[in-house]
Amino acid sequence: MPYGSLRDFLVKAEEEGQLLRIKEEVRPEPDIRAAACAAAKIPGGPVLLFEKIQGYRDKQVVMNVHGSWENHALTLDLPKKTTVKEQFHELAKRWDRYPLPAKRVTDAPVKEVILDKDFSLFRELPLFRVNPQDGGFYLSKACTIARDPENPENQNVGIYRIQVKDHDRLGIQLSAQHDLAAYLRKAEERDIPLRVAVSVTNDPIVSFVASSPLKYDEDEYAMIGALRGEPVEVISSERGNLDVPAGAELIIEGEILTRQRSVEGPFTEYTGSYSTSMLQVEIKVDLITRRRDPIIFENLYTGRPWGEIDYLMALNTSLTICKQMKADFPEVDAVNAMYTHGYCTIISSKMRFGGFAKTLGCKLLSTPHGITYPKLIIVVDEDVDPFDLEQVIWAMTVRFRPERDIAIIPNAPASTLDPAHLVRGLATKIIIDATKPVFPDIPLSDAGLVDLPEETAYWMDEIKKRMEELK
Amino acid sequence: MICPRCDDSRADKIFEAPEDGSWELYRCPRCYFVWRNTEEEEVTNPDLYDPRFKLNEEKIAAMDPKPPIPPIRKENRTRHRDGG
Ligand SMILES: [Zn+2]
Repeated sequence: MPYGSLRDFLVKAEEEGQLLRIKEEVRPEPDIRAAACAAAKIPGGPVLLFEKIQGYRDKQVVMNVHGSWENHALTLDLPKKTTVKEQFHELAKRWDRYPLPAKRVTDAPVKEVILDKDFSLFRELPLFRVNPQDGGFYLSKACTIARDPENPENQNVGIYRIQVKDHDRLGIQLSAQHDLAAYLRKAEERDIPLRVAVSVTNDPIVSFVASSPLKYDEDEYAMIGALRGEPVEVISSERGNLDVPAGAELIIEGEILTRQRSVEGPFTEYTGSYSTSMLQVEIKVDLITRRRDPIIFENLYTGRPWGEIDYLMALNTSLTICKQMKADFPEVDAVNAMYTHGYCTIISSKMRFGGFAKTLGCKLLSTPHGITYPKLIIVVDEDVDPFDLEQVIWAMTVRFRPERDIAIIPNAPASTLDPAHLVRGLATKIIIDATKPVFPDIPLSDAGLVDLPEETAYWMDEIKKRMEELK
Repeated sequence: MICPRCDDSRADKIFEAPEDGSWELYRCPRCYFVWRNTEEEEVTNPDLYDPRFKLNEEKIAAMDPKPPIPPIRKENRTRHRDGG
């Protein structure tokens, strides 16, 4: 049974032993950031529910919802011990059910309280500074919804970093390649307003899809439906005809202040570095709808990898790229683009002929995400699990011949957030072919690969079961 | 109150802890920095704020707009004047 809200998910996480309630009072800074950072660094780390925030009687904070593979599996309604590769292939199957459009409802808890004057975002949400040098308090996991001014059937749901700059004022970062930036450009060229809604604290599958690099005209709600197996419920915004998730805890509605920019940032990005301050877009908030108290505020800690953001952007990015590569090269088995949002990407595939790994590397570099993000590309055979780094490094140690198996592409397009850049937006790419050479290449001279003993899988299950019984 | 980040003296209190007044929030009208008086000294004290992240009028003036603001299309300007 799929979840309808973060609250539904928390019940499941608690049943599965993946929810830790922090009952003592915590300070907004630095307690929440430190605890959230720690939870994501622990293998199998739990979801954290902070029950008492200093200064608020009626607010709670939830962190680390996606911050371990166990939590990640539970967000997809899978058993918590599902391996990463199994989660990947399960998602790949569900992905093909797209589109499963949203179901509209007319009543939802998120409309219990409607505030249209004299509100303060600092009162409504227990905001806190995620990292010490951030330029303010951020909504780092909220989903922003808007419609294309030229083609209103086109609606986008995306996670953009949002700085709370005043009681009724937000800053939002819109990078040129993102859908909302395209909507804004159209609105600014026409000099017309652009309404947005910001959905705070969502069913985890909503955040998962909102942070996937889907194509411009793909419908996030129809993808959420495909992945959860049932249509997601949406409800109309109070103003501006936007569909917002009915399961949200709180919705902020407002209008982008077009044709002006003001100081925003810095904020810690997925690279583990602070981005610089820039002049960015602002939203004037005119309305808030929410559940009755206590409000649960879900936010995302971003810091030095690995952390929750790496889990959140891992399989959705990997899968999008894999589907795009498979369209031309069906022999591709899996793609792991989990490291620094794909700066390192590992492809596993059957090999058509000698040198084919380089073909795949170049194909990756021509996918929408691959044009910029990947710098270090590793290609392995299909018998190597690209999500198991021990196997990947093994392939590099026994199948990779540096004098033949490296291709370097200097001065290619790159992520603008890469702290190692010499020229912002350019990087040198390296393709490493860690596959067994096949015809017409020279085969490995000692190629007698040892298979796993036939009954290894049986014994693995057996040993795990008996270990559980020991507990 | 002095903004710890850009030293603007017009920063002002905008909020306090609703339950018990255990903290206060301040905001700078120039660089929009918001801080809580209970945060680390490196965040609240202008003299201890990391110099790499300090801002001033010149730095703000030199910042790029993201994304850039496009020109208004000619046909839209005409339409506005015609009231259509
Ligand atoms: Zn300031």
